[in-house]
Amino acid sequence: MKKTFLSLLLSVTLWGYGEGTVFWAPKPSDTGEKANAKHGGHGMGETNMFTAIGLEGNGSATLRGPDLSLISLPMEGDTLTLPKSSMGGYYALVFKQHTAEQINTAIRYLSMQGRPVKISPTRLIALPKADLEILPHPLHREHDRYTASKAYRFLITFRGKALSSAPIILETRNHSSLTSISDQNGIVEFTLPNDFHAVRIGKSDNKPSEFLIQTHYHDTEALYVTTFSMPYHPNPNDYWQSQRLGAGAIVLGFLGGLFIYRRTKSKGVKRG
Amino acid sequence: MDKFLTMSALRRVVQLTAFVFFVYGAMIFTTFYTGDKLTQALPALSCAYDMSGGDFCTLIPLQHQMDHRVSTVFTQGADLMGAIMPTLITVATVAVLILVLNKAFCGWLCPLGFFQETLGMIGTKLGLTQVISLSRETVLKIRPIKWFIFLFFVLIFPILTGIGLLGHEWGSPFCSICPSRMMTTLATGDMSQVYISQAGWGYTLLSLIADLMFGLMIALALFVRQPFCRICPILPMQTLFKKIGLLRLVKNGSSHCEGCGNCIKACPMDIYEIQEVAANDNITHADCTLCGRCIEFCPHDGVMNFKYGPLTIHSSSNQGFKKRIKIDKWWKG
Repeated sequence: MKKTFLSLLLSVTLWGYGEGTVFWAPKPSDTGEKANAKHGGHGMGETNMFTAIGLEGNGSATLRGPDLSLISLPMEGDTLTLPKSSMGGYYALVFKQHTAEQINTAIRYLSMQGRPVKISPTRLIALPKADLEILPHPLHREHDRYTASKAYRFLITFRGKALSSAPIILETRNHSSLTSISDQNGIVEFTLPNDFHAVRIGKSDNKPSEFLIQTHYHDTEALYVTTFSMPYHPNPNDYWQSQRLGAGAIVLGFLGGLFIYRRTKSKGVKRG
Repeated sequence: MDKFLTMSALRRVVQLTAFVFFVYGAMIFTTFYTGDKLTQALPALSCAYDMSGGDFCTLIPLQHQMDHRVSTVFTQGADLMGAIMPTLITVATVAVLILVLNKAFCGWLCPLGFFQETLGMIGTKLGLTQVISLSRETVLKIRPIKWFIFLFFVLIFPILTGIGLLGHEWGSPFCSICPSRMMTTLATGDMSQVYISQAGWGYTLLSLIADLMFGLMIALALFVRQPFCRICPILPMQTLFKKIGLLRLVKNGSSHCEGCGNCIKACPMDIYEIQEVAANDNITHADCTLCGRCIEFCPHDGVMNFKYGPLTIHSSSNQGFKKRIKIDKWWKG
């Protein structure tokens, strides 16, 4: 009963968001306190249950680890639970579905705590995980997070090669939407919208929202549709951090130094 | 051309190269990700907030380990070895680096040190009268500050945060006030670290200290040599291992040294102790950055020396002294 209610709640919340595609989202019961990690970027408090939203029929899910190992994950309907792992770093959660007319893929990157591996995250990201893929260029860094009002670049690839002129849509769960087209190098840049409401002062007091990037490519064989979804957070500089005051304080400190200069000069300190 | 071939000239080249590597190195040598940085425990102020940097300072992992791991000994009764193991690895990495280069990380590689020295050169060229040496009393008053910062801002406050006695902002308080965070991010065109936070008194206090100190450091560096280095908590960290450092400053002044005081005037950290009589002694002081200026400005043959293990790699000489004085006069106009 609880599961049905939570699934219904998520469907209502996400109405219109990512419609017609399949994408990963944290399981509804875990989008609250757990996902709202007190100290972002460490994998602490992040959910271990994900739902392939928009899934119709069957598909397969895999998890690519920081050491580039690949494991298949069993799905219960549209949901899966991540296995426990001792390896720390980035993981790529990949969903694939082949239908008669369409090939759907959904990718999401996760950060988990554990023993670090000696393989660069660049290799995990560069590793082809689907025919059509949206690669973060780069993925936000460890200990960092996607943040509103910041610009991020993404690389669109088809079978490992940069795809130019691909139509890209970015949507957020806070009802913002942006469109763009990949350039000749397959790159597209988006500034994540500052569309949070009722933001509370303080980094840890705000729940993250979700953004979703989707693109499609039609070749002679089929229609390829892929999504990339991640959480993003309010930008402190939009709300409770003042950059003007910061610059003012630096000037004040500088003037303080000049005051000391004048004072030492008049006191006749040893000079060259 | 020969007249410019001095240790200072070599040091400037090394400093500039290190600055480029530590501030922009991820663009060429390493990558954007922290896991790919060179040592991840550098005993110099190269900041992890600079996404383009080639490496980052050891104080960042240390604070995190105090906050998230060491504190679990008190909060969860965690196994001591398990809780301190990451710290031991970080400290061991620092020990190895100190073994190789000792405190030369400050004088030769630190991007913030180079930034301050560059400001000093600008100040000289602007005609600002330079404070040659702070008084011994002032130096003695300033010295304990770095230990206070190291103990409280790097170790104790983060542990208290992990225990829950302080707010989250005290989990990495040194990073919150470190001028290298601002200098390196601004050097890459990132303005996001210049702010005053209104998220709570702790956040406000730390951000205010950071901004004021950064502005103050810039102004002071124009006429006082290396103002922030004097209170930098990297010095205590290095001091723990300076005895094992292969590179060291050795004074052999029993027969020749006349106590002229040139070495003190040359020392950017105003280490008065280097003037004292010493016979083939390692005089690498806790504040020494191994910049080698005391060697260059010593007029006596073989009194001040850089040694690497058993090898003497550079010694003071009357000829070198004359050359260095000439360059100094030319530079100051």
